[in-house]
Amino acid sequence: MTIVRNRWLEIATVAIIGVSLFRSMTVVADVTQGDVQRIMYVHVPSAWLAFLAFMVTMVGSAAWLRTKDQRWDRLAASSAEIGVVFTGLAIVAGMIWAKPVWGQFWTWEPRLVTTALLFFIYLGYLALRRAVIDPVQRARRAAIMGIVAAVQIPIVYYSVNWWRSLHQPSSARSIDTPLRITLLLGVVAFTFAYAVLLRRRLELARLEEELDAKRFEQSQSVAGADITVPSLASHPHD
Amino acid sequence: MNGHEIAYLDDVGLRLGNTIILRQAKLSLEPGEKVGLLGPNGSGKTTLLRIIATLLQPTSGTGAVLGAEIGTQDVYAIRNRIVMVGHLPGLWPELTLGENTELVARLSGRSPEVAADALAQVGLARASERRADQSSKGMLRRAELARALILEPTLLLLDEAHAGLDAEAIGMVDTIANRVVAGGGAVMLVSHEPDRLNVHRSVQLVDGTLEMVS
Amino acid sequence: MTFWRQVYEVARKDLLVESRTAEVALMTAPFGAAALILIPLAIGTDAPLLSQLGPGLYWIVVLLFGMLVILRKSAVDGQAQRDLVRLLGIEPAAAFAGATVATSALVLFFEVALGPILIALYNPELRGWPWLFVILPLVATGMGLLGTIASGVTTSIGTRTSLTPLLIVPLSLPLLMGATQALEGLRLGRGIVPWLILLFAVDLALAVSGVLAARPLEEAVT
Repeated sequence: MTIVRNRWLEIATVAIIGVSLFRSMTVVADVTQGDVQRIMYVHVPSAWLAFLAFMVTMVGSAAWLRTKDQRWDRLAASSAEIGVVFTGLAIVAGMIWAKPVWGQFWTWEPRLVTTALLFFIYLGYLALRRAVIDPVQRARRAAIMGIVAAVQIPIVYYSVNWWRSLHQPSSARSIDTPLRITLLLGVVAFTFAYAVLLRRRLELARLEEELDAKRFEQSQSVAGADITVPSLASHPHD
Repeated sequence: MNGHEIAYLDDVGLRLGNTIILRQAKLSLEPGEKVGLLGPNGSGKTTLLRIIATLLQPTSGTGAVLGAEIGTQDVYAIRNRIVMVGHLPGLWPELTLGENTELVARLSGRSPEVAADALAQVGLARASERRADQSSKGMLRRAELARALILEPTLLLLDEAHAGLDAEAIGMVDTIANRVVAGGGAVMLVSHEPDRLNVHRSVQLVDGTLEMVS
Repeated sequence: MTFWRQVYEVARKDLLVESRTAEVALMTAPFGAAALILIPLAIGTDAPLLSQLGPGLYWIVVLLFGMLVILRKSAVDGQAQRDLVRLLGIEPAAAFAGATVATSALVLFFEVALGPILIALYNPELRGWPWLFVILPLVATGMGLLGTIASGVTTSIGTRTSLTPLLIVPLSLPLLMGATQALEGLRLGRGIVPWLILLFAVDLALAVSGVLAARPLEEAVT
């Protein structure tokens, strides 16, 4: 049995990543920053995917609470795992970009700060999942945390944005069309990558559950059966 | 199923992860019945009791308690007619026996005086200033029985009904159980000592399912 | 029994138990005070520096040490106690609200207890200090709400003393922002109302989430 039914998604993804990569390297460099600016084509799409993945986690959480269908929980969990990777990538790319351009690894820019907090939110979500053994309890608790976090994230973003606008003038740089197209291409490429990874991860999760179910069927043990008559005899008159 | 039972379970199963705790458990508790629940350690008696108390939802099967179908929102309305005295004491360790009992009265909308009265009835009137974490197991059990007196349940569930109690207190358990039953309610008592149980009939948890005991 | 009566009784119970252990008053608050004393020894005792950084450091201590208030022993009910509350017919939303009121009250106590230390050691400029009567409770309520939700989700998890703060801290950023910027705003004579609205919005969003999550959460913790 092939694990993935057809490979059109993978092929399309590789193709579009190739195109995006080529374009990122060959498009005209930024006037002020030079070639280092090209890392934006990794940093921005990664950040975009980080947030998209969390939205999917939130949708999965809400849907699970509604339907109690395990597939939604699988979606939420898989998306979170992929999301944390993209979040990490966005932060690292951001740091690589910031050092040469602004002289320091971290700029307290609202989107960067929110992305960093999103990273910790993901870690907390995954740590919570890991700590609960029963699948239904795990799904329920994770779903609640996922939704509470998702509702707070926009508030987090706005509060940092507000704070920043008071302390620093916004360096809103307009972006020229050729660069904008490249950026858009990067976003599309990363979205395809996300879809591929998500599909694979979901498939893996489904197979894991099937394996668990098969194992369970074979070892149909009732909890109490593990307890047997003790061989220690009692001698009341010893 | 005749619609008048206090509780019934139909093919109820509980699976926690990869362990089956209960399967195809059938039970019917009629008004006026005292039923014993027997079974070796770890056989799932406490789990079954908690399902009947509507605190735990089974993973399969159906049932109803006090007219409310298990697993639906209806159970919220009938819960205050159930009293369960579980394995571990339902008392706050830092509070005194008097405060704990008063808390039960307050949280159930009754006046605090009812609590002092109940404590006296179970023989703890002079211990009411003792903190729960400084009271013996027997005293804690008595305090929990006081709870049954205050709340006047229709369904009384007693886990390890006689554990830690002296003869006097065991008599108390029987009195309270009889009171519940006389009022048209039902009682389920879990015990390891079937001969001490003063019940109409007993069921045994064997292999995750319930069997009649003659 | 009405819903609000239930809330009152649950909160009263939590605070009564806390009064026995006195954990927040005798352990957490002194710990927070010790932190405020240690900080200048680490960053420098220069008076203008401390005066400027004081409020921010105070809020950081409130936020991080507030975790200990949230994790306090008196807030942890065992399964038998949780079962009892459920069987007494207490509405899950009322139990949530009651626990939140208790935790918020204790965080507020913590904030107030640390206030004099802040003033004595850091000598911050506290222009418009009457606004503190609004800011402190708003922050305390936010912490209480976050704390009760996160505690609920981590019930009976062994590693909850580490997991709960991890869940709370990122989400508490708006509270931190609102509190610090409100005080900054007062100091500089700028507007404070937007930050108060932010604090209020956070509290409202958390309250709604918490109440809606109360029933599912109760079922998740058997």
